[in-house]
Amino acid sequence: MTNELAQVVFEVMPQFEGFVYPNEASPHPLWGVLIVLYPYITGLVAGAFIMASLVRVFDVKPLEPVYRLSLLTALAFLLCATLPLLFHLGHPERCFAIMMTPHFSSPMAMFGFVYAWYLMAVLLLELWFDYRQDFVEWSKTETGWRGIVYRAFTLGVTDESDAAVKLDLKAGRFLSIIGIPSAFLLHGYVGFIFGSIKANPWWGNVLMPIIFILSAIVSGIALCVFNYMVLTWVRRRTVEMRCLDTMGMFLFYALVFDAAVEALDWIHRVYLAEEGFQVMQYMAREKLFYTLSIGQALIGTLLPLLILGALQLWRKRVPELIRRRLYFGSAVMILIGVLAMRWNVVIGGQLFSKSLRGVMGYKLEFAGVEGWFMGLVLLALPFVILVVLVKLFLSERLPTSGHVPHRSSVPAKAG
Amino acid sequence: MASSRESRFSLPPQILRLVLLTIAIVAVYLVARYFLTPPSFGQFGFYRGDVLQELASLEPVYAGKKACEECHSEQYQQVAQAEHKSVSCEACHGSGQAHAEDPDVKMAILGFSRCVRCHEENPSRPKWHKQINSRTHYTGEKCTECHLPHQPNEVP
Amino acid sequence: MKPPLTRRRVLGKLGAALAGLMTLPVARTVKAAVQKLRVAPGAAKGYDPTQHRWVMAIDVNRCIGCGLCAEACKKENRVPEGPNYFRTWIERYIITQPKPGSAVARGEVLVDSPNGGMNGFPEPPVKRESIQHSFFVPKLCNLCAHSPCAQVCPVGATFDAPDGAVLVDPKYCIGCGFCIQACPYGCRFFNPYTRTADKCSLCYHRITRGLRPACVEVCPTEARLFGDLKNPVADEALQKFYAENRVQALKPHLGTEPRVVYAGLDKEVS
Repeated sequence: MTNELAQVVFEVMPQFEGFVYPNEASPHPLWGVLIVLYPYITGLVAGAFIMASLVRVFDVKPLEPVYRLSLLTALAFLLCATLPLLFHLGHPERCFAIMMTPHFSSPMAMFGFVYAWYLMAVLLLELWFDYRQDFVEWSKTETGWRGIVYRAFTLGVTDESDAAVKLDLKAGRFLSIIGIPSAFLLHGYVGFIFGSIKANPWWGNVLMPIIFILSAIVSGIALCVFNYMVLTWVRRRTVEMRCLDTMGMFLFYALVFDAAVEALDWIHRVYLAEEGFQVMQYMAREKLFYTLSIGQALIGTLLPLLILGALQLWRKRVPELIRRRLYFGSAVMILIGVLAMRWNVVIGGQLFSKSLRGVMGYKLEFAGVEGWFMGLVLLALPFVILVVLVKLFLSERLPTSGHVPHRSSVPAKAG
Repeated sequence: MASSRESRFSLPPQILRLVLLTIAIVAVYLVARYFLTPPSFGQFGFYRGDVLQELASLEPVYAGKKACEECHSEQYQQVAQAEHKSVSCEACHGSGQAHAEDPDVKMAILGFSRCVRCHEENPSRPKWHKQINSRTHYTGEKCTECHLPHQPNEVP
Repeated sequence: MKPPLTRRRVLGKLGAALAGLMTLPVARTVKAAVQKLRVAPGAAKGYDPTQHRWVMAIDVNRCIGCGLCAEACKKENRVPEGPNYFRTWIERYIITQPKPGSAVARGEVLVDSPNGGMNGFPEPPVKRESIQHSFFVPKLCNLCAHSPCAQVCPVGATFDAPDGAVLVDPKYCIGCGFCIQACPYGCRFFNPYTRTADKCSLCYHRITRGLRPACVEVCPTEARLFGDLKNPVADEALQKFYAENRVQALKPHLGTEPRVVYAGLDKEVS
């Protein structure tokens, strides 16, 4: 037995440098790629919702064409937000316990409630109020399963009087106003799950929720840019440049904020150089070089800042085609960069020993629940759901009620 | 149909539907919670009270010194008065619950490795602890040729 | 517009209310039946958890690194085999001589714990002459008074028992791993067989039977002292330990206030 064990030790050990607690010496971190995706996906939800609120609450008219798309994006991703969590549990079948006996001192226990609140009390309701009139109309004209779906979504309310429509608008706006703090709650809360771990100096940080919210807004807007451009491309329409420029502007300012706070976090860490700084520095330099320096800092922050900043200054001199490509490129880079940031937080926090005397390695595998294939599937799933949602609720065949805030959900015809 | 009802206090139809839906969801949650919370939850604190008994019901593997004394009181007394008095029986002889329950289950036979496990020289071991280098200390067969494990100071 | 109250309506309402009330006992019976499926209550014991407060005290100067504690723990608690599942383990600290002319008090610090120390320790990885000093540190659950692991458990599956033990409920744990991340001492691990968090239970099945934890039982040098703060008379050795030593806890700056205290720790121990 001893020999066998020694063999195992020998095979496992080369991944470690310095001393790690024996219980930490497993070849994979406890929280793998699934937990990287969890804050990424919830962040996209929160960001896309904030994007929609720009129209609804702050009355940013140029963004009206993407209002409904943003909300549907938020919904598609929110529906998948719990999946990575659920799959990584040791006992997924006991997950309901988190709702039955939520432990109030745990940052994780409230997730079920925050999630349910956000999904049902905010997002679905806002969508419902926005779509209610359309559902009534569509259920009259559509037949077959589509008609059944739309009729079911009216919840049996067919009132289309002016008073009722006015009430819908009012309720939608009210929900959107509630939705902004709720989106902050949803994602700031995810940041707090990490920020509250005092045992881990990489995580235990008061700025963590703020960084999570800011990067969430950035990634959400970038996702809306991405989805909008892909959708118009698929439908062979022309992008509304006014809308795209406005999105680019908000993306730039959100990114400035995000980069500033993240830089503050780094300066703070480096300057204080508290306990464990050396091992974290080593880890950041050696183990996280590609995801941190290249992915998060260069691709995710510096390049988009330069491109979007330049576009703010010289927008009029850049031809539309190039502008579109630059916006699209920036959005993709930001989406990659924020994913890298989640990786750095989640995996980075588990790559050094809590003894602060050593670092672990991590090789991402293809198969298994925590493999990268599973990650790709979970990342693709919200897009699949979004396609269904768009076919159902953003169909070009269906006329939409002309009321604000979704002046024309269907992109304008080419030419 | 709700909209057709005439009443001064009626809610707008869409709100009414949502209120009903909310009540239904909350009711489902409360019913589920009523049935799915373990009965002993909260008995002592925020956990399942029964778990204390469940954890306590695991069977021991090590019997403890006192169990050995019941039959082997002579050896117990010997050890208690000698240098090894702080060493419990099962530290050298191995786990003994099975033997304590059924004396036919034999304890492990002890050899050289049991002695050097503690007494082999190692620079990390405290200086007060007696250590030997097993390669140079004695080239004979057994430690017990010179040392009595139960009374290490006496020569056989 | 209310219809007038008639006897018939009143009776009808009363009947409905009565019928509603009748469902309560039925619901209770169903609830009991449903919950019986989910839990099997253990045998009753003559142990009152509120009458004890268990602690452990460790004298680093007495530990000889034999590894019997880690070995006995695995056996006693059926801890999975393997070099990364330990409820208790031993670390070896080797502080080397400073390089000549480096003008530092201590040289490099080498720490290791091959297989948790349960098979003992090999020759040190450096020459004996270059060792300034070296020692062993046994580790286990620190029995924090403010345990971060119990604080973060989302479902109440890990908790501070009334007697001071910090326990895991393997039938209720959802296996999220949050507590493992929250433990500053690396005392928890994910058990691949139960698929739940696992940790030192202070040999709960032993201490409730009046036995000592397995690691304490087999420790040949009394480096580990186990006792009950609510019955101090019974634990003279422990009281002597507190009186004679200046004790320390691990990572005191985190405010966990461990009830496992150490004598003779060095500043390098983390």
